[in-house]
Amino acid sequence: MQTLSLNAFFNECGAEILKAVRAPEYILPTLILPVAFYALFAFAMPNSGTSGARYLLATYGVFAVMGPAIFGFGVGVANERDRGWLKIKRASPAPAISYIGAKIMVTLIFASLALIPIYLLAGFRAQIVLARSDWFLLFGLHMLSVLPFILIGLTLGFSFGSNGAVAVSNIVFLGMAALGGLWLPAFLFPAPLQKFAATLPSYQLAEIALAIVGASSQTGAERIPLQNLNIVAIMTIILAGLAIWAWRRQRD
Amino acid sequence: MPTTGETPISATGLTKTFGKTIALNSVNLVVPKGDITAILGENGAGKTTLIHVCLGLTKPTSGQISMFGHSPGAHPARLRTGVMLQDADLPDLLTPREHITLFASYYQDPLNLPDVIDMCKLAKFADKKYKTLSGGQKRRVQFALAIIGNPDLVFLDEPTTGLDTQTRRMLWGVVRELAKDGRTVILTTHYLEEADALADRIVVMHGGNIIADAPTPQIRAVAGGAVITCTTVLTVAALKSLPDVKSVRKTGRFVQINTQNQTTTMKSLLAADPQVSELVIKKPSLEEAFDRIVQTPQQNQEKA
Repeated sequence: MQTLSLNAFFNECGAEILKAVRAPEYILPTLILPVAFYALFAFAMPNSGTSGARYLLATYGVFAVMGPAIFGFGVGVANERDRGWLKIKRASPAPAISYIGAKIMVTLIFASLALIPIYLLAGFRAQIVLARSDWFLLFGLHMLSVLPFILIGLTLGFSFGSNGAVAVSNIVFLGMAALGGLWLPAFLFPAPLQKFAATLPSYQLAEIALAIVGASSQTGAERIPLQNLNIVAIMTIILAGLAIWAWRRQRD
Repeated sequence: MPTTGETPISATGLTKTFGKTIALNSVNLVVPKGDITAILGENGAGKTTLIHVCLGLTKPTSGQISMFGHSPGAHPARLRTGVMLQDADLPDLLTPREHITLFASYYQDPLNLPDVIDMCKLAKFADKKYKTLSGGQKRRVQFALAIIGNPDLVFLDEPTTGLDTQTRRMLWGVVRELAKDGRTVILTTHYLEEADALADRIVVMHGGNIIADAPTPQIRAVAGGAVITCTTVLTVAALKSLPDVKSVRKTGRFVQINTQNQTTTMKSLLAADPQVSELVIKKPSLEEAFDRIVQTPQQNQEKA
């Protein structure tokens, strides 16, 4: 029984990787866009210096993992649900956990592929110096950041048809990035928008990442990373509830 | 009928309503091991809903159902079940071989991949991406997924709708093989020909009710008698006056005579027109039986 579900999980991972690799038109933008933006804003812009590159390393890392998570789950699940594929899976002995688990694995693989070039640019080109333990801490945080976005993607995937999911995923993706202060620091926002930013997981995760790289907080307020982490945990629980609700609702 | 953990399907009083629509109306169905059962009915008769309830995809509004002694959708029941659903498509970017390999990994004792590729005649396109396949080829891959797990119970929801004759015959052949090995097959269809050719037992559904449920020959016998086709100089009115004739229909140069008793009708037909030619006598088709059953659902329900 154990080996059976493990075997199913490995096969499921293989299938997910093949599907992703065979659709380069979807996967390439999510991999290339973050590092391209990072290069543009950290180096090519006037008055960009090491402090800017350090700041953007933290926020673009969050941005880089959002794409695979939101699109992989939002668009991927909506598409497979739409065509009745999930119905066949539910009727077959396919363990639901291995389907979701394989999608998470693939998301993590692509998230790390999106992150690594940003890290390389930051370390070698911008000469950002971090303790080795801080690099790992940063990587761990960025990888963990996929979780709330996977849950958002799942909720979208269970709630919209495949066309709708593409549109809504784009809105959520860009909104989370822009309003969460991942592109432009939130301290440049008007006060009401700054308050709103704090309600987004992208903002809270970026705050923790900023603390790890030793950059100043987005809003200049006193920083308490543990508090940000607590907020992210609560948001994740709420998002998990939302995803479960969306899953139950579409079942019948 | 006694039911045990080995009974593939045992359902009593299954009702499913969607808003005001009654998709299933207190359906009773026991399917013993090793039969091919055809569920026959028009679109909207409740066939697919019944299958979805059996698979645990849809919860019944009321009633009891057990699949191999488990509740529908429970993992032990799913391990023994293979399905081919209507309107259900597979991911575009995997090949048939990859799809089937993945599905095989869900089951404890799956069939051999090369055997299934051979049985379902997939060899020519086993390594092409699913999205490049024709409609008939896609259905063959879906059928392969239904049988790869070597399941005890196979559901085929309108498996041959829109299929070419060749693929249909392939599928029928495999279904017969499966049943020969003691597996249970449930198929829904609105092709009477298909039910007639394959099924040991026919369940006729209409408006969410099971209006007939009997072995195939018995369902066919509802139409009774025989159909005589021939060319004759006699008029339709003259033919109608022959003994035991139920109805007469003229199609082109042929006439079709529906009779309750082929012997008496034939004797008097030959006496009245010795020149009668191109004579064929057939058992009534399932279609005629079906029309009769659907026209009188009330009476048949009382009989069933």
